[in-house]
Amino acid sequence: MKKRIGLFFLLIILLTISCGDNFPVIEDLGNTDYRLVDQYANETVFPDNIKGKIVIAGYIFTNCPDICPLTTNNMRLIQERLKGEGIEGVQFISISFDPDNDSPEVLKKFAEIRNLDLSNWTFLTGEKPVVDELMKHVGVLAVPGDSTVFPSGKVSYYYIHTDRIQLIDEEGKIRKNYPGSSINIDEIVNDVKQFVR
Amino acid sequence: MRKLFVALMPLIAVAGINFGQQSAIKINNPWIRISAEGSNTALFFELVNNSDQPDTLFEAESDLAEVVEVHETYKRENDMMGMRRVKFVVIPPKSVVIFKPRDLHVMLIKLKKDMKENDKGVAILIFKNAGRIKLEAVVRNMPRMNN
Ligand SMILES: [Cu+2]
Repeated sequence: MKKRIGLFFLLIILLTISCGDNFPVIEDLGNTDYRLVDQYANETVFPDNIKGKIVIAGYIFTNCPDICPLTTNNMRLIQERLKGEGIEGVQFISISFDPDNDSPEVLKKFAEIRNLDLSNWTFLTGEKPVVDELMKHVGVLAVPGDSTVFPSGKVSYYYIHTDRIQLIDEEGKIRKNYPGSSINIDEIVNDVKQFVR
Repeated sequence: MRKLFVALMPLIAVAGINFGQQSAIKINNPWIRISAEGSNTALFFELVNNSDQPDTLFEAESDLAEVVEVHETYKRENDMMGMRRVKFVVIPPKSVVIFKPRDLHVMLIKLKKDMKENDKGVAILIFKNAGRIKLEAVVRNMPRMNN
């Protein structure tokens, strides 16, 4: 009997350290279709386009001078680490919550000037209502805050926004949130390893 | 102090900073984050005030961008981050104020050209006491690790 109880607890411990409990499902994107476009202006359906892959998703707007470039650079560091450790099957996506400014062309330029490796990294934008719906679903808030008035009279707004990188599993379920601009690279790399088999 | 001076030498030589008695503010390690024409970016540096008097940074100017403003990144509730203009930044006597990522920056709004890695760009910081100080910043993706 004692042995059985011991085995029982061992089983519980094993279950706990396997994926499930450490990575509760935060949101399931699996049954939804968001029609977006990538940095080459190719139409794509999210999250269909990434199903079957572990995804590291970042949420940005390119007029952001500080937080979003940091988030993007952190994703680059994660990409380099995973590549260095020979871990494959991970897809990176950066989704803009400012589609009015972030056309595919702008996103392409944003990636190019940073020399990003786009072999497993896609930038996405889309129609404003679609993007707004998607942001609500993934739990990213972005509200216009401070603004700059140009000499021409044109006004440009800066978003106050959730600072976020997410880990999404092969089925399109969000499994963990991280602070995008200050993420612990070791932490997410270790987390990814638990999903990659 | 001598070290600081030596570190600043190239900067002084290139940018022609007025290094007279009244210029008590030194600008160290200026760098601009990579960004594309038409987009925005940030300029970072360290302001060293070796004098016994406080000084105040009011404004910045640069031909690199359509609009140049002194800004700060700030934290909001629920993991949200924002950014806003600041009217001035005080540099207390015998102290260093660091403009750095997730913090104070000079915002270069609507860049007139691409700022690629290792490009250089000139800006002028305007102080209450020290007056106009010119700097030449190098374009980087991220700051160097040890400074
Ligand atoms: Cu700013």
